[in-house]
Amino acid sequence: MVYLRSLFLIIAGFAAGINAKSSTGDSVLVIVEPKQQDNYNLFFSGLKEQGYDLTFRAPKAEAPALIEYDVPAFAHVIVLASETKVFARDITPQSLVQLLAKKTNLIVALSPKQTPLTSLAAEFSLTLPPPGTPLVSYFPAREGPANVIPVSVPAKHTILSPNLHPVWFSGVPHTIGNNPLLVPILRAPAESFASETDGGSADSLVDSAERGGEGLWAGSQQGLVTGFQTLDGSRITWVGGADVFSDEYAKKEVSKGVPSGNLQFARDVAKWTFQETNVLRIDRTTHNRVNSTESLDQYTTNDQIEYAAYISKYDSKTGNWAPCTCLKDLQLEFTMLDPHIRTALLPVAAEPGKYATTFRAPDRHGVFKFVINYKRKGMSFLESSTTVAVVPPRHDGYPRFLSAAWPYYTGAISTSVAFFLFSAVWLASEAREKKAKGHKAE
Amino acid sequence: MLSLHIVALLIAGAQAAVLTLQSPRFTVTSSTGAQLRSEPISLARPASIPVTLEKDDVLKVTFQVIEKGASKGVQPHQTFLRFYDKKSGEEGIQPIRVTNGGKAKFELNMAKPPLSLPPTSDAPLQVTLLIGSPLHSPLSVALFDLVVPASQPAPVHPDEASFHPLPEIHHTFRPEQKLPPKPISAIFSVLVLSPWVVLLGLWAQTAPRVPHLLSPSILPFIGTLGAFQGLLVWYWADLKLGQVLTYGAVLGLVTIFTGKQALSKIGDQRVGRK
Repeated sequence: MVYLRSLFLIIAGFAAGINAKSSTGDSVLVIVEPKQQDNYNLFFSGLKEQGYDLTFRAPKAEAPALIEYDVPAFAHVIVLASETKVFARDITPQSLVQLLAKKTNLIVALSPKQTPLTSLAAEFSLTLPPPGTPLVSYFPAREGPANVIPVSVPAKHTILSPNLHPVWFSGVPHTIGNNPLLVPILRAPAESFASETDGGSADSLVDSAERGGEGLWAGSQQGLVTGFQTLDGSRITWVGGADVFSDEYAKKEVSKGVPSGNLQFARDVAKWTFQETNVLRIDRTTHNRVNSTESLDQYTTNDQIEYAAYISKYDSKTGNWAPCTCLKDLQLEFTMLDPHIRTALLPVAAEPGKYATTFRAPDRHGVFKFVINYKRKGMSFLESSTTVAVVPPRHDGYPRFLSAAWPYYTGAISTSVAFFLFSAVWLASEAREKKAKGHKAE
Repeated sequence: MLSLHIVALLIAGAQAAVLTLQSPRFTVTSSTGAQLRSEPISLARPASIPVTLEKDDVLKVTFQVIEKGASKGVQPHQTFLRFYDKKSGEEGIQPIRVTNGGKAKFELNMAKPPLSLPPTSDAPLQVTLLIGSPLHSPLSVALFDLVVPASQPAPVHPDEASFHPLPEIHHTFRPEQKLPPKPISAIFSVLVLSPWVVLLGLWAQTAPRVPHLLSPSILPFIGTLGAFQGLLVWYWADLKLGQVLTYGAVLGLVTIFTGKQALSKIGDQRVGRK
């Protein structure tokens, strides 16, 4: 039923001629306080232009449900209600994790207030400062409060558009754990730190640092916007403050005449989170002996094996998967328990999207696997495993007519020939007994 | 909270106060207390010679934060020393305690490095003093490059390696089997053939005659025996066991008849029944 419905949605989508969309679905649920909904109009209209289908829900409203009959009702969820402490019954940290497990993508905004989502962030290796301590920076000298900070964006980033203008930020920083599934998107300025804005004293900062551990949230190692890609491929982005998406910051100038990069930044973050960019897949893999095209279930030790993988990248502009020659460090492993061979899988110039290599099967027999396990931060993970057997040569597969065996061959052949000659002579000769009798008779 | 900021801004705007450091100085002392280096810090540019600390050395940085043009000390909200490793991107922030009079003293004892010191390699750490206050314009002073003994590398997540290209693995193959030189094989093959010299020599002396070779009862048997030998050579060169058994069975049937005929014929001859 659900399948039928999603099929219908796809057909409806095609009929409507929606141009750009996510590789996993267009329905988005936005959980936002109705009062604040108008603060994010530019962000929302940008999403709608891209072809997303937005549904709004107040944090305390009971409907529409996140998960219906164990099936997520939306392809993506944005939680902008960062200051809400009490959510409706079905919006819990557990249900958000469940959504991730069911391949729904999330954008979650945080705030200096302690909410259920604050504790969820810790499960993603993000450590937040104590409640009530937003990010503060006195650098650069500027008008306006110290907790509204222009953050310069890395010029080259796998997720963000190149050369974005600085982004206005206000909210909480977090320290980023060493979990490799985390994808830092925006880091705090080096001069910034988390502090109580009013009444925060210099001594309390020193005291918190002396307490050791994560006593002080300061410097460029902190994250402001951090993505996390689960092993299943679903993505969640933690945003230190919902205001990054707001119209106010999108319109606010960074310096005279220079617009802020917030709008494009928000789009880039949404594009990555909603599986529009950096989405790869393995279409198929092939393996065969060199000079043959037939895929075998078993190979002989020392065979020259040719392996190829066809990889596509999702193009959100056309909504199609296009062959991608973009990977430079793809590797193939030929493993039996441990990898016996690990070799680069290089793009084939003549065929876009094809990555191929040739290697000699190890002289060990057993059940082997061709394994591609490509994980890079910010890209979807590529995994493929094909099981084949590697066997010793069959009884007639060994080399024949070895020069070392010539004496044995000649010996056997000469014995055979001698036996044949002897038989022929014995059969064809005259009976010897008769002769003997003849001698005696003489 | 917001009103406080506005007040702060108003003050900042009215005074446009700029902070500066009075008598900034750093000293390096060894563990025995001997002074190795003591220099005033220039606010304009960092010290040209990097400060090097050995295992037990102590670095002391002292200064007083004052408003420019006034001698009164100021306690800013933010007084941080930033240690930054440009090569690895590791960074450590150390807040410095400043008294109400603006006096600050920071001590870095390498025998007991603070937690804020980032993991270091052989690259020097850039040390920057960051002073921020809601009432003044911020001040950032590059102090000097700091060379400290390399520390343990930062802990890495066990799965981190799989997010980077892994080292290539090549299988070590067993060496190819070595064959003896062909001339030696040929010499031994000839040696194996040497009994033929003896056989043919002896046969030449006895000169066996074969009067019955073409007799219709003997020739088929010799022929089938020859066919058997041929079949075995064919088997060695090309055939599979199943084929050999099939062909051999057919050939065997024929051989039984030809053999029976030939042997009974010879038997008859020997007994003398003609």
